[in-house]
Amino acid sequence: MKANTVASKALSIAVMAASLILLFAALALDFTGSGFKGRGALLVVGMIGFFVGLYLFPTPKNHRKIVYIIFLFPLLFTFAVTVIIPLVLGIGYSFTDWTGVAITKNVGLANYSTMFHDPAFLYSILITFIFVVLNMVLINLVGFLLALLCTSAIKATGFFRAAYFLPNLIGGIVLGYIWQFVFNNVLTKMTNTSASILSQSKPALIAIVVVYLWQYGGYIMLIYITGLTQIPGDVLEAAAIDGANARQTLFQIKIPMIASTITICTFLTLTSAFKQFDVNMSLTNGAGSVPNFMGSYLSNGTQMLALNIYNTAIAKNSYAVGQAKAVLFFIILAVVSLIQVRVSNSKEVEL
Amino acid sequence: MKKQVLALALAGVMAAGLAGCGGSSTSSTAASGSTKEASSTAGGSGKSLRLVNGKIEVDAQLKELAAKYKEETGVDVQIESMGGGVDIQGTLKGYYQADNMPDIFVNGGATDFANWEGKLADMSDQAWVKDTDAAYTDADGKVIGFPYTTEAIGLAYNADVLEKAGVDPKSITGPDSMKKAFETIDAKKDELGLTAVIGYCAEATNLYWSTGNHLFGVYEDGGLKRDDSTYYDMLSKDGSIDKDRFGKFADMVALFNQYSDPAILVSGTYDQQILNFASGKYAFVTQGSWIGATMTSDDKEAYDAAGDFKVGMVPYAFEEGQDTILTNSPSWWAVFQNDNTEEAKKFLQWCSEDKGQDILVNKAGFVSPFKSCTYVASDPFAQTITDYTKAEKTSSWHWLGNKEGLAQNALGVVFQDFAAGNIPDAETFASTIEQVSKQYYAS
Repeated sequence: MKANTVASKALSIAVMAASLILLFAALALDFTGSGFKGRGALLVVGMIGFFVGLYLFPTPKNHRKIVYIIFLFPLLFTFAVTVIIPLVLGIGYSFTDWTGVAITKNVGLANYSTMFHDPAFLYSILITFIFVVLNMVLINLVGFLLALLCTSAIKATGFFRAAYFLPNLIGGIVLGYIWQFVFNNVLTKMTNTSASILSQSKPALIAIVVVYLWQYGGYIMLIYITGLTQIPGDVLEAAAIDGANARQTLFQIKIPMIASTITICTFLTLTSAFKQFDVNMSLTNGAGSVPNFMGSYLSNGTQMLALNIYNTAIAKNSYAVGQAKAVLFFIILAVVSLIQVRVSNSKEVEL
Repeated sequence: MKKQVLALALAGVMAAGLAGCGGSSTSSTAASGSTKEASSTAGGSGKSLRLVNGKIEVDAQLKELAAKYKEETGVDVQIESMGGGVDIQGTLKGYYQADNMPDIFVNGGATDFANWEGKLADMSDQAWVKDTDAAYTDADGKVIGFPYTTEAIGLAYNADVLEKAGVDPKSITGPDSMKKAFETIDAKKDELGLTAVIGYCAEATNLYWSTGNHLFGVYEDGGLKRDDSTYYDMLSKDGSIDKDRFGKFADMVALFNQYSDPAILVSGTYDQQILNFASGKYAFVTQGSWIGATMTSDDKEAYDAAGDFKVGMVPYAFEEGQDTILTNSPSWWAVFQNDNTEEAKKFLQWCSEDKGQDILVNKAGFVSPFKSCTYVASDPFAQTITDYTKAEKTSSWHWLGNKEGLAQNALGVVFQDFAAGNIPDAETFASTIEQVSKQYYAS
């Protein structure tokens, strides 16, 4: 029995060692730029072999833990590759003069100081917050009202649900271009003006809000419909028997009953409005003039945070500053989301 | 025991899944490296090149060029066209990060070439270099850019309309004569069938390059000798503008605002602008020689219907006596250093020779930068460019070296604002441009 354990332990370690050698050989081949075609297979075989060896390791006490690790690995690995590593790399890049192709030196906090001295960026932050607040309120309001409409006793609710939801199926970029056409060609013809509302900052911002509302309202409506239809019938019936009118039912029964849905929806609208990029880019690409903001004339009157970051990196070719802005963006998003979830959660407990 | 078997089976499934992911990722990375093999089996000879073209208007013609080359040498050249406001350098950087670089790609000027320092093939030893003056040379004197066309920026006009209106294009030599010509044409607008005197579009979202690069480029180089870069140097230093010169330029822009078609002035598109010009609805249009290709392909019907009128260019004479139009190679093809470099060089050499030039000049309408080329493009503007070049009445252009994104992120909107009337007068326009450009260079 003892000999058996030793043998299987040796086998396990041998398999793991051999696999690791394969794994590192594959990585070494890759980094040295070898053209050997089998290196991918080598890598995968090495990876799998390592876990087989680990699984065979004779330890009754920790066997379960090993199995957990093996099963968790794919997810953790993907998460690390797509989220954690880029995040760390990105923070690293923000302290250098990265151009997207090469890094020549470390610049410390210079990128951060540049971005806070840039009125255009501060303006972007400002309008992003305005946009987020407007959107959060409007989308939830409209979504909820549409949901009430679509759960009421009117005819053809199925049709209306589909119709309101449909804009969400069109991608943001396409939507932006469609609406750009509407604002620039259709609306100008109808009102008989030459300049479209997209050529001025404030109306253009409202246009973005409207388009985004049009796109996202139906989606939020769908979530509210799910919430509303899940309210137990007996509660509503009890309310009706107690003589509650429609308004009382709405405010005293329905809204409290779907508090968790409201949490989800505010959270969804908040974060998605913050990340707004595609409609913004295709509709105005950030263009718009602001005659005087902190003493300077700005030409990015409708440029929201995400687009500003993109333009800094791509159009202005300063990847490092863009990266620094992205780090700030990450922090803002993380803080706002955490606060929002906390506030909503505490409210739910009260109810 | 049963449980253990189950666990093992599940682990096996998971491993297979992992292998699946791994396998697919290997094959996809291999794909970019080995398009060569993949397409060679189809093509037969074993080579494949990828060219990123920045002039979307000649996409079809370049594909024809590629087909011809394949027919002759068996090398497959894939044409990937970008343009019309697409940020090509940004896309290329993405390709670079993804290890998916094309073998030949377009570069617009010093800022673009600087991105790829040390990564481009030296083509100094190529035969075509001796045949042209327009090759792009880096600071060390190495030839790294292949010129493929010559373009011109000037105030394009419809010669038939001008003739009917009794305006001699040669008489436009300065701001006063330009104004007079505009007034004359404006008075006869209805009988000439014009919508407006000039098709000037200052839309900032998609057409920022027309105003912020080309028109602004006229301020930088208009009327100067080819080696004179006074105003470009001034701008490069800290974004400064020569007030006196720009003031006169601003007056010209104000004139354009006044006489432009209001339907496209603030919210128009390139397509509308060119279509209307090709249909004979404008006497002038503020676009360069590249619109010739659009007029004879996309807008062919309208252009034919309008009688295939003659076109020409007058200088943007915002100062009396400015008699040059701006000509240059708008961009160059650079060869990325990789396994395909030699093949790519061969392709470019072929392009500079008779068969390549035949397609590039006669089909794509490029004005050949090669001296040995005997073809003259059928492009409506080809003759104009040749005339100005022969008379040595051309200026170079330097806007390609403006700080990256200047037009898109700063200047375009100011032109739009001026056109929309948000900026009341030319003086405010000039001071705003200066403020914005200084700010942009400082950040």
